[in-house]
Amino acid sequence: MSTDLIVDPQIRSWVFLPIVVITFLVGILRHYASILLSSQKKVELQQLADSQLIIRARVLRENCSYIPKNSFLMRKQAFNKEDGYLLQKRPPVTQNMMTDPSMMTDMLKGNITNVLPMIVIGGWINWMFSGFITTKVPFPLTLRFKSMLQRGIELSHLDASWVSSASWYFLNVFGLRSIYALVLGENNAADQSRQMQEQMQMTGAASGMPADPKIPFKAEWEALEIVEHHFKLPDVEKEILDG
Amino acid sequence: MSKRKAEDHVAYSEAAIRNNLSIVEYCRTSVSAISGCTAGILGLTGLYGALFFVFAVTSFWFMLLFNAGIDSWKKYFISRKSLLLNGVFGHFFTYILCWTFIYGMVHVY
Amino acid sequence: MAKFVYKVVLTIAFLSLLHSAISAAQHRSYIRLNELEFTHLPLDVFIQTLLSLFTIMYAVLHLAGDFKEIKASAELENKSWETFRNIPSFYVFSHRGGKCSPSKASLEESE
Repeated sequence: MSTDLIVDPQIRSWVFLPIVVITFLVGILRHYASILLSSQKKVELQQLADSQLIIRARVLRENCSYIPKNSFLMRKQAFNKEDGYLLQKRPPVTQNMMTDPSMMTDMLKGNITNVLPMIVIGGWINWMFSGFITTKVPFPLTLRFKSMLQRGIELSHLDASWVSSASWYFLNVFGLRSIYALVLGENNAADQSRQMQEQMQMTGAASGMPADPKIPFKAEWEALEIVEHHFKLPDVEKEILDG
Repeated sequence: MSKRKAEDHVAYSEAAIRNNLSIVEYCRTSVSAISGCTAGILGLTGLYGALFFVFAVTSFWFMLLFNAGIDSWKKYFISRKSLLLNGVFGHFFTYILCWTFIYGMVHVY
Repeated sequence: MAKFVYKVVLTIAFLSLLHSAISAAQHRSYIRLNELEFTHLPLDVFIQTLLSLFTIMYAVLHLAGDFKEIKASAELENKSWETFRNIPSFYVFSHRGGKCSPSKASLEESE
């Protein structure tokens, strides 16, 4: 700290502080933009019915030993007979054309809210505030950090703990994440827990069903075909009455 | 949803645990940010700053335990140590950012 | 009500922290103008900063929310019998019972 650089206080109010404020506000803006743009995923009624069908078949397969053979066979028939639930004919999937563009727009939205501002704002800040020494980290650093912290100024004799404006911007981009969590956090946390509850409610793979139900139907059909039925409770009445 | 612990066979409610941990996480993030600002104001440099972080986090930990009740913290948390150590590096990063920011604002210019 | 008090305390502590930051910055510029060597902050600023830090910690701790008891039994005590019997993994949708429902039958006819 012996070689103290005197930095113009004007830099503080016109470069150092604006970078922090801009990065912060852009982050907030991005959060709300992503909320605004995010479309509620529409679940097709048919898809939901299909996934519930699979769940039903699985439940039957896993717990078949608790129902008598006759009942099991009846249920199995309902699923597996020639035109049963699992072998029903479906018109070839036309949804694919419908879902693909929506996926595309989703990806596009993700890019717009995440990558684009970073590039645009980063480039703008690089252009607007280039070449300033903004601050000094309050701890000594080795020379290896020089290239990281002093992007935009190539001074070989400058102490490594000085930070250039471009690097200060990047430090902010990565470091402000937890501050966002603090400011927007309760919202985000609430969202997450709500999702968790929804998952608990649905239990099972009710969501995330592929558009084409043929393949999982086929797998389930096979599993149901090969399942062996052993009735676990043949003399349950007697045992209860004796016990 | 509850999980069983092998030793003492107590069922814990996962939702409550998650709720408590998220509250603690919130507090710890704000504490690391604020203690970073404090360190910047005080003009700490080098190792002193790191020591100050340890000091702040530890004193917050004591405050937390005291607030939950010295004997009754077991009602709210499973382990005391994880309260002190969970995600300490992420918080340290937050601390460093705030420290650098305020140090720059106050002491550099 | 208590939350409100803590919010006021938090605000005051933040203002106090801001004030001490400004004091420190002024002290720094004073030292620079007089070409003295910076050794440490004046004691009153130091104490004010630390005090505000601890006050903020305390207020944040109380504002963040109340802890819930993690014992599962504590949670179960508040549940009514109806919610307790609600077991989501036993839900079955679109089962054969739907055939008996008049609204469902009319729906399928209309398709």
